[in-house]
Amino acid sequence: MKKTNIKTIAVDGLITSNPTFKLVLGTCPTLALTTLAINGIGMGLAVTFVLICSNLLVSLLRKVIPNQVRIPAFVLIIATFVTVVRLVLDKFMPSLYSALGLYLPLIVVNCIILARAESFASKNCVLYSMADGLFTGLGFTFALTVMGAFRELLSSGAIFGVKLWDFEIAFFSSSAGAFFTFAIFIALFSYIESVVKKQKKIKDYAELVKLKEQSAFVGTTEAK
Amino acid sequence: MANSDILLFSSSPHVKSPKTTKWIMLNVCIALLPSLIFGIIYFGLKALLLVAVSVLSAVVSEFIYLFITGKKFDEIVKQFDYSSCVTGLLIGLTIGTNYPIYAPIFGSAFAIIVVKMLFGGTGKNIVNPAIVGRIFIFISFQTVITAYLSPNIASISGKTLDTSATALAGLLGQDGVQIFPNLSNWDLFLGTGLSGCIGETCKLAILIGAVYLACVGILNILYPIIYVIVCGLFTVLLNGFDFAFFLPSILSGGLMIGAFFMATDYVTTPNTKIANYIYFFILGLLTAGLRQATHMEVVSFAILLMNLTVPIIDKFIYHRPFGYYKPKKEAK
Repeated sequence: MKKTNIKTIAVDGLITSNPTFKLVLGTCPTLALTTLAINGIGMGLAVTFVLICSNLLVSLLRKVIPNQVRIPAFVLIIATFVTVVRLVLDKFMPSLYSALGLYLPLIVVNCIILARAESFASKNCVLYSMADGLFTGLGFTFALTVMGAFRELLSSGAIFGVKLWDFEIAFFSSSAGAFFTFAIFIALFSYIESVVKKQKKIKDYAELVKLKEQSAFVGTTEAK
Repeated sequence: MANSDILLFSSSPHVKSPKTTKWIMLNVCIALLPSLIFGIIYFGLKALLLVAVSVLSAVVSEFIYLFITGKKFDEIVKQFDYSSCVTGLLIGLTIGTNYPIYAPIFGSAFAIIVVKMLFGGTGKNIVNPAIVGRIFIFISFQTVITAYLSPNIASISGKTLDTSATALAGLLGQDGVQIFPNLSNWDLFLGTGLSGCIGETCKLAILIGAVYLACVGILNILYPIIYVIVCGLFTVLLNGFDFAFFLPSILSGGLMIGAFFMATDYVTTPNTKIANYIYFFILGLLTAGLRQATHMEVVSFAILLMNLTVPIIDKFIYHRPFGYYKPKKEAK
């Protein structure tokens, strides 16, 4: 089993088990909200906040919550923080609040948060759980922002609301375009990851060969 | 030992036909030429430019894809059949002349790369690339286009159509009221005075091409005729047995080019005869029904939907092998 420390948690949350591109969790907000880059960032940060706080509480209460009722307890904890986020956004960022719309209360049943609470926070200590929440949330934010920027650029020629050129492909703002973009990015992400892995393997193998040669050399000299 | 020199061993197929993919696709290209010529006569040289750009970008995107996947140039040229030419031609012919010049480039590239090459090239695509390219253009550049242009040649009957609407838009009641087309059926047939896409307006040219394909033996002309007639009859049925709807409904919009050139693609039709009858029958019902329900031209969407059902149809209706009999149920 892998040793848990902050570094492996960070790599896991951002890359090797990126919630959107590798685990394909939270697909509903990913497909619906990535029409604009700013929506992606807003949604991602809201989810990150809820993730950190819920992971903190779940981890604190992991010895108190009985195993049989853990899912309702997790949902209750998550719902508390979602309510906080909703009230804060409604007060201070009404435009973002209306843009996210229905998907904000739906964070309660977002499978990323439930999955992290179930598989990580209920088994690990408080500090690690918070770090996991932060990095998983950042991975989600990164994915949503990149997809949102891509779709916004192609469908309205703007990025973060700044108009770059006057050329539109409306296909990318439709739901079919959302699926298409999602597929492209998953493929791209997997491709880059496989290339990096291959490079690492080659490097490891070269080192192994070197070590073997050295040991063989040492062995022959000793025999002499 | 000596016998093996006399006897020639080879695996099937033993009968060779001159009908290669290349030959078939080249003939389809030739069959589309009348439509192109009439399009240029009706809509001017802009039509030729759009079609040329469309064909060129389709071929170039196929070459670029193969080049990226690591094929050598002479290999690419050797395996090139004219199927991407057909796709490009069909995309070019099913757009209007007021579309911007970049529309067919994106449509063709999307059709070839995403729909054809990513699924494995000619013969492996699950839907017709030209249909998807047309739908891509239709969805993407709808905001740029507000109306179709009317052709240079006036109608025979001397009546004129409202410039903003196609004949079909009025027939389907796009603005809430069902207006019968102002043109005579001959105008609809010849495309004179009829606004629409480059290759869709002149039905005569499409029929010439289809008859050529049928004579060469590529197209079974019965299938598209089933499609067109079922579509017309169902429209009549939906409008309360008013046979005045029959000819205008089958002569307007993209039904003809869709039926004769897009729906009959070898790759995306079922394998057996009975399955094909069923396929084109349902296609006709679907087109007429969806037209009536959405008040839009839906031939391309109907063909796309039916293309996706082809694997299911093929799974249940297949050719009975020679000498096959149903295994009896084991009595227990």
